[in-house]
Amino acid sequence: MIDSLGLLVGVLLLLILMVLATKGWMGARQLHDPPAGPNEGELPEPCPREFVSMVFSRTDRDFVHGLNSRGVEQLFQRERKKVALVWIRQTSALVRKAVSEHAFAARQSKNLDFLKEVNILGQFLILITSCWILTIAIQTAGPVWLSGLANYAQRLSQQVERLQGSFQAGILATAKGTRVT
Amino acid sequence: MDTTDKALTVERAYDDLLRRSLSSISGDLARLIYLASTRDYNTGRYHHDGLAARFRVDVASQALELAHRQTFYRIAARSLEDLVGELDLYINSSRQNRDEVIQVWQKLEPYRVALPVNVNVVVAQLFVSNIRLALAILRQRLGREELRALAS
Repeated sequence: MIDSLGLLVGVLLLLILMVLATKGWMGARQLHDPPAGPNEGELPEPCPREFVSMVFSRTDRDFVHGLNSRGVEQLFQRERKKVALVWIRQTSALVRKAVSEHAFAARQSKNLDFLKEVNILGQFLILITSCWILTIAIQTAGPVWLSGLANYAQRLSQQVERLQGSFQAGILATAKGTRVT
Repeated sequence: MDTTDKALTVERAYDDLLRRSLSSISGDLARLIYLASTRDYNTGRYHHDGLAARFRVDVASQALELAHRQTFYRIAARSLEDLVGELDLYINSSRQNRDEVIQVWQKLEPYRVALPVNVNVVVAQLFVSNIRLALAILRQRLGREELRALAS
């Protein structure tokens, strides 16, 4: 009896997670009218940190809350969610692009460091999973309602910058290695 | 003209632009709209007759582009409360019917044209989003003011 109840709860939780994931994925895909940015194929620049903080900050939310207008508050939640999802999408794109450039350079190389490559793959998986979790969290609760999300977002942003830097260095080193061999 | 000379000239043109034209405009939002209006819709190049006459067409264009980007990033970094104040100042300075301006801005979203080319997508989205919110807040304030006026 307890086993079947546990199974039922498990299936229910899984279903809820799947619904949230689909909602997050659809939300991220349905973002329309992104303003003018880099052209197709160009690597977007990472969003400056102060703007990432602004998206997740409570200052604007407190201001809107003080206005005592349900309509404005709802609009605020919708708008912030939209901006946060654009940031996640941009961050994911940066990670994927950096990894694919690294993979391309690694394929050309004949002296790969296996441990280093495993470490890079690990970082990539952590970052992509973080983006995925953040998308679901933002879709579910909205960016400004999650305490600590701003810090987490900041750290993620810094990690992407570091990853890009280390990949660039790796690509340069790999290119040198290829020329030598 | 080598690269350093050109950079110095652009900097001088930029200072000139700040001193002569931009200082007489009140509010960053009004400056942003003004700078965006100096850009050709088809070519994306900036043009300012006075500045081009004092410097060169390409130097003037670069100085305008620089001022546009800097003003944009400055205004995008403002808190929502500050932006509401900026928008209020801009609408008041236009000397047109406030309600009408707010409604038209909400429908046509002309502020999208004020975005410089190739700005960060997240910053651009945040700016557009904050203006949308600022307009909603001003409209709500206006509605409350009207109600208060009717009640008194």
